Amino acid sequence: MLKNLAITSSPHVRSSATTRRIMQDVCIALAPAGIASIVFFGGSAAMIIAISVITCVLTEFLYQKLMGSKITVSDWSAVVTGLLLAYNIPASAPLWIPVVGGVFAILIVKQLFGGIGSNFMNPALAARVMLFVSWSGIMTAYPNTRFMVDEGMDAISGATPLAGLAKAFAGTGAETASIGNLLLGNVPGVLGETCKIALLLGGAYLIVRQVIDWRIPACMIGTVAVLYLIFGGFNFELTVKELLSGGLILGAFFMATDYATSPQTPLGRIIFAVGCGLILFVIRFGEKTYPEGCSFAILFMNVCTPLIDRWTAPKYFGEVKKHG
Amino acid sequence: MAKKNTVPSTLLNGLITENPTFTLMLGMCPTLGVTTAAMNGIGMGLATTFVLVCSNLFISLLRNIIPDKVRIPSYIIVIASFVTMVDLFMQAFLPDLRSALGSYIPLIVVNCIIFARAESFAAKNPPLLSLADGLGMGIGFTISITLLAAIRELFGTGTIFGAQVMPESYQPMGIMTQVPGGFITLGLMMILANAARKSIQKRRAARKEAAA
Amino acid sequence: MSTFLVIVIGQILVNNYVMCQFYGICPFLGVSKRVDTALGMGMAVTFVITIASFVTRLLQFALDALSLQYLQTIVFILVIAVLVQVVESALKKLSPSLYQALGVYLPLITTNCVVLAVAQKNISTGYGLLESTLCGFCAALGFTLALVLLAGIRERMEESEMPTWMKGFPGALIMSGLMAMAFMGFNGLI
Repeated sequence: MLKNLAITSSPHVRSSATTRRIMQDVCIALAPAGIASIVFFGGSAAMIIAISVITCVLTEFLYQKLMGSKITVSDWSAVVTGLLLAYNIPASAPLWIPVVGGVFAILIVKQLFGGIGSNFMNPALAARVMLFVSWSGIMTAYPNTRFMVDEGMDAISGATPLAGLAKAFAGTGAETASIGNLLLGNVPGVLGETCKIALLLGGAYLIVRQVIDWRIPACMIGTVAVLYLIFGGFNFELTVKELLSGGLILGAFFMATDYATSPQTPLGRIIFAVGCGLILFVIRFGEKTYPEGCSFAILFMNVCTPLIDRWTAPKYFGEVKKHG
Repeated sequence: MAKKNTVPSTLLNGLITENPTFTLMLGMCPTLGVTTAAMNGIGMGLATTFVLVCSNLFISLLRNIIPDKVRIPSYIIVIASFVTMVDLFMQAFLPDLRSALGSYIPLIVVNCIIFARAESFAAKNPPLLSLADGLGMGIGFTISITLLAAIRELFGTGTIFGAQVMPESYQPMGIMTQVPGGFITLGLMMILANAARKSIQKRRAARKEAAA
Repeated sequence: MSTFLVIVIGQILVNNYVMCQFYGICPFLGVSKRVDTALGMGMAVTFVITIASFVTRLLQFALDALSLQYLQTIVFILVIAVLVQVVESALKKLSPSLYQALGVYLPLITTNCVVLAVAQKNISTGYGLLESTLCGFCAALGFTLALVLLAGIRERMEESEMPTWMKGFPGALIMSGLMAMAFMGFNGLI
């Protein structure tokens, strides 16, 4: 019965000209965060970004060549996946990490399901979780930024601001990064998550250009904020720090808004975003295994997306129920 | 398919043509659940083969005695008895393997391969053929799950049957021995198996055409 | 956290029988083509598992009293088979359309290993009667959740440009693998 409703595969990414325009916009929006990561983490960050993008584009090209299908690398979507993947890797990771991740993202998560617009899960995020589960040691060895080394701290701290915040919330330790450092990105973390100003700038650009729906980031971040306020005893400072830590901003603006893997209806998008925020909060607040739940939260809601679409799609009157 | 059932053809049928894992897609739970190490694959495969052979033989012997109405409960009792025997045997003599396979051993009782063969083959065929069918299916199952287990073990821990295969510098890909790795590896193997089958069929058809 | 909350969250999300432990894969792959059918199957399974958990726990008292523990597998599977028969004939009378949709899979609940696995886990963890029943109910809800989620994805994929060799089982397996990754996030909740 849903067949005549074009909600199942994003129709607006079908024409490659618009796809290219959208993807180029996303690349522009992602650029400041990339530059910031190179400033903070140096040449290794640039290497990871380059390798990741090259792997993704090359994998897509080779697969489509091999399968004899239309080659779509010129739509820039593989570049976006490569960038997002790189932004989810710490600068200290060996260079085979982005290679394995890129192949997984493009081949398994995207192309096997029919390529752009057909995948049901965000390729970059799925690859990040795969890498994280497989090599958690490498993926959580967060190096300090270059400016922190100058202050005489250890080069590898392994702790993101999140770990300190969790302790602060529990009342067992108060040392947390300052809001200024969090905004600037002068904290340990993966490449693209750290500089929040750059990410917010990019996000604002995408909203202004109407590439992404503001509802998703607003509802996702709002949900997390409300939950932290309630469960953290209305501690505004810690709540703001929580919002600025980890992958929330990157995820909310750039990953949760992916067309193919988020719902099509406005109501569906709100449900999706609130769900992301809720799961992220539950994992951050109640987990013992993982300090950060942004990727898992979005992946889980990706899985729920077809059902959300199905149950929020506008109903036709006089529709004949088909038995199947 | 109208072909005469002989012992060798029945054996081969279970091994390749109707391989329980890749063609019939039966018994998926143990296929995925225990295949984190090649040794587990063999253990599980052999335990299942034993139950399969015995229950096939037994049910075939009793096929004219069991009334049609109570055949399902009767099969269950026959199968469950053999499973209990295997379980107690392993607890006594192979405690390590038994604990590695965990609750999947008692769960052989609900392995659909065994049910499916009892219902679709042993209930209609004489004992010797049923035995061959059980053996073929069992070995086919053992080979496929051991193959899957070996691949997962190789990438997930860098070893096969516990022996180091990958170079020392290899960083094990942890996800392979976890749940997602099981699903994805089997999915990819199935794609390859389907492709292989299709190309064989195509070649056979071409040969037939050439002959005609 | 209270024991009950641990059971609820544990059975549905953290130790989801399908997504985290590989039980019930056959019906999971077999009945997940359409969301409606998946929901129906989920309801049938929930009904059977809840009752089966209760009944098997009761029976275990008898087995313990008679020191016949080694008969556990045989007794449990027989009880489950009988229960499935009851559900089947009830459904045939009450909802013929659902009965038609579930068709061949209904008798196969007997060989849905979640039913037996839950029953045995209840005994080995030492749950009482109430906890066992709740555990069974939540395990079944977890199964239904996974089943319906996969059905949603597969329905959507039917209309996508998925290559033909991915259609059917291979695709469903790879989707399940990616789904299982999403479920891993709940690992440390309890």
